[in-house]
Amino acid sequence: MSEHVNADATQMSGGRTASEAIVVMEGVHKKYKKFSALKGVDLKVAKQEVVVIIGPSGSGKSTLIRCINRLEEHDEGRIIVDGIELTLDIRNIEEVRKETGMVFQNFNLFPHLTVLSNVAIGPRQVRKMSKAKSEELARELLTRVKIPEQAVKFPAQLSGGQQQRVAIARALAMKPKVMLFDEPTSALDPEMINEVLDVIKELAKDGMTMIVVTHEMGFAREVADRVVFMSDGEIVEVGTPSELFDHPKDPRTQKFLSQIL
Amino acid sequence: MRTWLRRNLFRTWWDALLTIVFSGVALWAMWSVFRFVVFTGRWEIIDVNLTLLLVGRFPKDSLWLLYGVVTATAFWGAAVLGGGEVAGALAPSRAERLMLAVRRFGLLVAVGFVLVALAGVQESIWFVVAIVAALALGRQVKKWRRKITALRQLPAVIWHGVLALAPVVMMVLTIRSADMRLWGGFLINFYLAFLSILLCFPLGILLALGRRSSLPMVRLVCAIYIEAVRGAPLFVLLLLSGVALNFFLPPQIDPGPVFRSVTVFTLFTAAYLAEIVRGGLQSIPKGQTEAGRALGLPTLKIIFLVTLPQALRNVIPAQIGQFISLFKDTTLAGAALSIVEMLKISQAITKQDAFLGRGYIYEVLAFAGLLFWVGSFVMSKESQRVEKKLGVGQR
Repeated sequence: MSEHVNADATQMSGGRTASEAIVVMEGVHKKYKKFSALKGVDLKVAKQEVVVIIGPSGSGKSTLIRCINRLEEHDEGRIIVDGIELTLDIRNIEEVRKETGMVFQNFNLFPHLTVLSNVAIGPRQVRKMSKAKSEELARELLTRVKIPEQAVKFPAQLSGGQQQRVAIARALAMKPKVMLFDEPTSALDPEMINEVLDVIKELAKDGMTMIVVTHEMGFAREVADRVVFMSDGEIVEVGTPSELFDHPKDPRTQKFLSQIL
Repeated sequence: MRTWLRRNLFRTWWDALLTIVFSGVALWAMWSVFRFVVFTGRWEIIDVNLTLLLVGRFPKDSLWLLYGVVTATAFWGAAVLGGGEVAGALAPSRAERLMLAVRRFGLLVAVGFVLVALAGVQESIWFVVAIVAALALGRQVKKWRRKITALRQLPAVIWHGVLALAPVVMMVLTIRSADMRLWGGFLINFYLAFLSILLCFPLGILLALGRRSSLPMVRLVCAIYIEAVRGAPLFVLLLLSGVALNFFLPPQIDPGPVFRSVTVFTLFTAAYLAEIVRGGLQSIPKGQTEAGRALGLPTLKIIFLVTLPQALRNVIPAQIGQFISLFKDTTLAGAALSIVEMLKISQAITKQDAFLGRGYIYEVLAFAGLLFWVGSFVMSKESQRVEKKLGVGQR
């Protein structure tokens, strides 16, 4: 069923290397009853590219990112992730979900499992890794997000920043090809935002493909290859951070930036 | 002390009045019970009929099998649950441990003493010794499992399989040895409750999941079942089971009353349990399912690894409430079907020649009530321990 699509990579601006696209969205529409959350979105993300999506609340940022791993079902258009098109076929959907890691605003860790089991559950249950191997991998990843000493604790015993880093490790444990971040720092106390952003920045440095919805403009400027500005369910403007932040063309972008900066 | 009294009992004249009135009520109730138990109660009726009340007409020469089941189960329980290790500074002192043990087992031990005293035969004393020995051995085995490397490395499946072997074999032997129609008294109440709880638990979970299914037909059937069963009185269902099961089964299969009542108790409690579990599932935030989906977990694994364990943990008190209610409802089986359970025997023995027409019903009912109360109380206490262990409300 899966349709392999070779996307035209030359269209993309600002990608680190002009390689093939790993996420392709073409004319994606999404409606909640009468309200249109997405009105024909086109977006291509290249391998190793970091795309940051900004925009006012209710503009469809979260809906867009949640369509990519089918937490929301799109009504029209095509979404192709790593050559697999998202259709009603549940096998395709599970295939795509294996290749995409997601980090949520509210962490959504499993409170009844230890930190280690939270990270190990994906590889163990989905990739059928042995218990010992999955736990070894989990420990490695916890070291990578700088909390190896919290492995035996339960999520509720950790601070918000630590919980979000566990959530990042949990997503990474599936060795995803794309990471989706849905406002990863919005539920955090101010002093914990940076510890999470630092981990994300390091991932970007290591060449992880990422799509990040955020309100942290400094972070966007620093790590983004491209910044996408959304409003009212549409992509209004796309550009490099300096293009978009310093010389916004669209009046809606200008208005939004003047409000938050 | 004085300030404590002031603050808690006599803060205002109204508080003082309430304190005095309620102390009076409490004292009066305690005195009444005490007078009944020690002075006016004529306990010889229990004394004479103790075996009958506890096991009915269970054959005397097979009684050792029952003792075996209880002893083996005590060993198993101690080996699985006993002696939880508390680390370093948090470890309670000897006195605290004693206090905890008294609070946990005091009631059971006291009732055990009452029964032994009433039975007054050597056999029952040996039985108590055997149980205590089994408990001690169980705890020791658990300790060995922690300390001895060879034992520690055994996989959990084998370890628990071996431990469970003795009680399970004893249970099977007991069930096979004596004709089920001879079982009676508290034994049959306990047996009905135990079996029904064991069976209704998975059924209730399946019904709850079915009612939340994405398939409309499954949802409809489960919803109709749950609402229909919850709407019918248990007693009516029990009476019906005496005749109605024959509508569904071929005539050559004529299940005994025990089979019939277990079926009814299971189906009935499962419907209630389903709603409890459904409530638990609804309390789990949507983000949990989404996180599971984002990892690529298939739907069944999300249910059984993520949402259901959390849901069941959240509804332990309600579940135990349902099981306690089931335990006590087993007394209805005597009235509805020809099962000689404890309540039926209690009423019957007041009609023995020695006791007829002399109002022995009070003593007999008090004794039956005591046994059920102890059983329910122990269940509720132990469930609170489990809750604490699983950290409900903390994680």
